[in-house]
Amino acid sequence: MKSKSVSLLWSNYSEHVFLIGCVLVSFGILLVTVGGSWDITNHLLSKPDTFFSPPHAVMYLGVTISLAGTVTSFLSWRKMQEFKSTYFVSLKSSLIGIGLLSSAGPFDYIWHSNFGLDGLLSPPHLTLIAGMFFCAIGGMIGISKFLKIIKSKYHQSLLLLLAVMPVWLSGSGIISSLSLPFSNTNYFQFNPEPTFALISATLGFPLLISTSCFLIFRLSGFRFGMISLLGGLFLLIYSSTAIIPNFALMDSMSFYSLNLIPFIIADLTMFFFKGKKASMFAGGLLGSIFYMAYYPYVMYTFNEVLLGKLVSPSLIYFVYFEMINDVFIITLIPATIMGMLAVFISEKTAKKILEIRR
Amino acid sequence: MIFVVSAALFLSIYFSLTLYILPEQYMSNEKLISEPMFEVTISEKEISLGESFNVDIITKNGGDYGDIHILSTAFPNVVEIDETVRITTYDFTQTPVKVIPGDEMIARYSGGLEHIKAKYPSIEATSRPIHPGSTYKMSQIVTPETVGNFSVLIKSVNIPHTSDLSHYPQSGILDHQGEFVQVYSVNVNP
Repeated sequence: MKSKSVSLLWSNYSEHVFLIGCVLVSFGILLVTVGGSWDITNHLLSKPDTFFSPPHAVMYLGVTISLAGTVTSFLSWRKMQEFKSTYFVSLKSSLIGIGLLSSAGPFDYIWHSNFGLDGLLSPPHLTLIAGMFFCAIGGMIGISKFLKIIKSKYHQSLLLLLAVMPVWLSGSGIISSLSLPFSNTNYFQFNPEPTFALISATLGFPLLISTSCFLIFRLSGFRFGMISLLGGLFLLIYSSTAIIPNFALMDSMSFYSLNLIPFIIADLTMFFFKGKKASMFAGGLLGSIFYMAYYPYVMYTFNEVLLGKLVSPSLIYFVYFEMINDVFIITLIPATIMGMLAVFISEKTAKKILEIRR
Repeated sequence: MIFVVSAALFLSIYFSLTLYILPEQYMSNEKLISEPMFEVTISEKEISLGESFNVDIITKNGGDYGDIHILSTAFPNVVEIDETVRITTYDFTQTPVKVIPGDEMIARYSGGLEHIKAKYPSIEATSRPIHPGSTYKMSQIVTPETVGNFSVLIKSVNIPHTSDLSHYPQSGILDHQGEFVQVYSVNVNP
């Protein structure tokens, strides 16, 4: 009797340690994604000619934290009894992710050493982004399941911000790699074909914004405020890594901060109206604002097809605002549809994540 | 009902501001114009073959914030730049790049739309971004390998190249890129 209760206590303790592991994984990936976005800005503005730059340091610190988190999760998972199979998917995803992430570091260094500066889309960067995504998914599943099992309170569900944000940002990294023309180098021409890039951005970014927002809404048990907080956090991260470092974009901060309005309205819509129509409206709205939410770099994708101008960093906003009306008109319908589609995707995904098996 | 009206109102404000009002305001802002300029000190006017002279250059951005500041020193009398020119110091943010004859170069301040093949070697030093008033230095030791008049062509170009103020000098002799240069000469005696 005594040994059974000790073993249960140990199992419960293991679940908490597993959560710490997942939090570390998600936090690490958040650092990697923030460092990655900063790195893009750093390359555009300063074009560093060395591998050892501050954004790279942030990224690889993130990888180290994620590695520590995955090891923690693995060790605690082995001691679990009750929810071992529940947390297995989370662990598996983190292990795959950390495997890719760990190999991306040396791979990236070797690539830099042999081919100089690599572009956004390169084999080591693709390995890194894929690893980030798998780890972020692993962290999100683990945190979500834990919160579901303990029937979390509102303040505890705020942890979902840390769980979903890295998924959103690493997903953004994948779509950015497939759409931004930042991948041609002296050795390789990896820039995506402009029309393909435009389609990827028009379909991918709206789907991602809306999926992330509805996912956190559903994972938190339909709690009010989660969409606004997640949207606000995304805008904060993006502005501090892509806008503030660029002196010439500083006065467009007022434009960018307005993007909080659609997130708050989507949040309030889901609070006041629970039905499918409300979800469709909120999803479509969130999808339709992708060009504004992904300011300024999304401009490069559309410029390739619509204007073909040479854009140096201080000219970004002139070209961006020159196209904003045209891009909005061209992308409104597909982006809205993708935003609505995301409502269904997030519903199915959330159900799957919150499934508890003993 | 109150929520629907308020949401519609806020969304109208949001889309009006982001799609029409603010873009119009931003587009009417004047583009930043950065203005490069430089001072050059050549240590000797005349040397004997086998001797060296120093080229010390101080560049400055006298205008607004800019993205890229390029200082080019070219040597039309030189065949092998590695044996003739040595950079002693520089504080540009990027490692200077040596251009050899045949390399593709951007021409006529086009920012990449027009290209030429380099006819003679040069060294391009770059800083990015460049804040108003910022200065950069580069020193070179040059050891000519032939007797006669030895020329050094120096110019600076800032990007974005928005007007004639974006390059220095703004008039004079054109180089192989169709861009203005200042010519400095040293007489090399046998």
